[in-house]
Amino acid sequence: MKVISVSVQRCVGCRLCEQWCSYSHNGAVSPTDARIRVLRDLDGERDIPMVCRQCAVPLCAGVCPAGALTRDEKTGAVRVDYNTCAGCGLCVEACPHGAVAVDRNGYPLICDLCGGLPQCAVHCPEGAIRYLRRELVDRDIKISAVRRMGGDR
Amino acid sequence: MQAGGFTRKMIRVNLTEGKIMIEDTPSEAVKDFWGGRGLGAYYLYREVPVDTDPLGPENKLVFTIGPLAGTMAPGSNKVNVTFKSPLTGTYSYSLCGGHWGPELKFAGYDGLIVEGKSDQPVYLLIDDNQVEVRPAGHLWGLLIPDTDALLREELGDPFVKVAYIGPAGEKLNRMACITSDRYREFGRGGAGAVMGSKNLKAVVVRGTGEVKGARPQELATLAEEMARELRRHSTAKARRKYGTAEMVQGINYLGFWSTRNFSSGHFEDGEKVSGPAMKNDLVKGDASCYACPVACGKRTAMHIGKYGRVALEGPEFESIGLLGANCGVSQWEYIMKATEVCDAYGMDTMSCGATVSMVMEAFERGRVASGQLDGLEPRFGDGEALVELLIRMGERRGIGDLLAEGVKAAAESLGVPDLAIHVKGLPFATYDPRGCKGMALTYGTSPKGAHHMVSPTMGPEIAGDRFAVEGKGTLVRTVQQYMAVVDSLGFCSSMRFVLSLEKQLQVFRAATGLDCTEEEAMRVGERILNLERMYNVRLGLDRRHDILPRRFLEEPMPEGLSKGQLVEMDALLDDYYAVMGWDQKGIPTGEKIRELELETLIE
Repeated sequence: MKVISVSVQRCVGCRLCEQWCSYSHNGAVSPTDARIRVLRDLDGERDIPMVCRQCAVPLCAGVCPAGALTRDEKTGAVRVDYNTCAGCGLCVEACPHGAVAVDRNGYPLICDLCGGLPQCAVHCPEGAIRYLRRELVDRDIKISAVRRMGGDR
Repeated sequence: MQAGGFTRKMIRVNLTEGKIMIEDTPSEAVKDFWGGRGLGAYYLYREVPVDTDPLGPENKLVFTIGPLAGTMAPGSNKVNVTFKSPLTGTYSYSLCGGHWGPELKFAGYDGLIVEGKSDQPVYLLIDDNQVEVRPAGHLWGLLIPDTDALLREELGDPFVKVAYIGPAGEKLNRMACITSDRYREFGRGGAGAVMGSKNLKAVVVRGTGEVKGARPQELATLAEEMARELRRHSTAKARRKYGTAEMVQGINYLGFWSTRNFSSGHFEDGEKVSGPAMKNDLVKGDASCYACPVACGKRTAMHIGKYGRVALEGPEFESIGLLGANCGVSQWEYIMKATEVCDAYGMDTMSCGATVSMVMEAFERGRVASGQLDGLEPRFGDGEALVELLIRMGERRGIGDLLAEGVKAAAESLGVPDLAIHVKGLPFATYDPRGCKGMALTYGTSPKGAHHMVSPTMGPEIAGDRFAVEGKGTLVRTVQQYMAVVDSLGFCSSMRFVLSLEKQLQVFRAATGLDCTEEEAMRVGERILNLERMYNVRLGLDRRHDILPRRFLEEPMPEGLSKGQLVEMDALLDDYYAVMGWDQKGIPTGEKIRELELETLIE
């Protein structure tokens, strides 16, 4: 299965991913409607793209009292069944990545991997958002971890 | 929410009465002036009359966004503020990148007009269609980083976008800027002092709405295409790699990089503060404004013995020039600290740097004594004195109180008016016009004083004959019109490297659904220039106020590849006025006004 992989080191905070996400889902640009959000950490001097990582055991689905969150058979993405979702918001709180957004009606917005061609990854000019096989996600993170161990460059 | 880029809604806040109104953006204004800088000109001309005290309640801050902000268009994040300047007493506007402008669009507005004066410190919260004035006593006096942190914590929302002033704005330092989200500024002309005079500390925006172009699919295709081109373009790539500091080497090599209070055009230590040097010494990462694939913002950090860790975004080209070369300072630790001080107090690095360089020259020449300067002995190259003077300016303490009045007033008071390098009170940017003659006209005829981005002619002049006088009137007019278009669409000026006028208009048409030819667009640009000019004409300004300081007319460039050059101001102005359809005094003729259909607005 392929998932979205995020690099805080590469992200520059342009938010093109938010644009393409909201546009491809709704035909209009709105950061609030995007399933990916970039948080600019002004003190930490970095930008953090926040998006579903498609956990192996999705905690959001685990806490859902309505059983509204299941896996899409084709992409493996967590899928929200809006017919059964109660809009209780437990999934928003449960997500360890802070990646579940809420729409204007109170229902969760979770990355659906655009059916297998995630627009955020396609349009990220930095390579900060990539669509990778699960087993490759750690590779990019390893180098930054090593650099952190070595202290300030 | 709306098709066509414009929301057609403006917020008007009267702080005297605490009244908030939502009004329609006038159709004729949108048609004739578009948004951003053009729309600002429309409002200021109509609403801020001749006798207005820039720091009085009658002055207004007219914030306007372009029709492309919030659409898929890349780099369309600029927001404009138009106001009567407390530094120059003239028309002024300033543009700010970042994320604040687009957020205002997502909240549903083309702009915000702030008028009147609150009797207590307040901040404005724009939360989609809820707009309220809130007390800001607890924020007053705080530096920019502290204001930022406290507001976000108070609102419990790290995603809000905030524009605010620091202590410099509160204390009516005439070079105070309005800062947004820590590192982007409405920098020049003293908009921050106007905000301070209204007791307005901050404008917080949360916009959760959507922006839909008239033809979204076409817009998306164009956006993809343009993003691809930007990634490939050599200047855009250099900007990405080194930030705007990429320009240091070229301009310094050609000998028109302002050095030691604009006395020379070559800084012998230029290599120490070049783009590559900065990348090697300081840069930790890149930071982008909204929807920009270039990301010219540079995150930098440095450990400095006596100051501790300094971390910021920048310094960018003009700051390196005016806090660095023009003060003779080449050590990063002082340029970084000086930039941090300006950022924290909320002051324009450019005007403040040029004010310090004036003091340095006055002191070196023995025309101002240490006793007049709180016992300081500021010489060129003295980074410590630079930092100290800036802090005093931010706090209006000691000599800083006088310097906070701006370079013109301060130099007059110190008895060295000839050492103040400005037009209309606004200090020069870092391009010495002796080495690039079009920039003499740019500085001279800009409505806001010696600002470079009104018509940055450096590119075409370097490629052509930069010392020539002939043809510069036409060049400057064309670039001025073009920049008025860029600024009114809301594109960042960096986009213009890649996006031809025709490209920009393709985006404009797809976003708004309006038709517009290149010729019509240039006419909108010309209309804006003439209305801005007429604002100043109405104040009594004319040719006399378009003249550069004597240094550029009488002191030949002493060294380097622009050696021996002087500015032939009269010839340049004659040419330019003729090309503009203005009379010999620099006043637009009645015929020109009618041709541009400005007569009803101007009557």
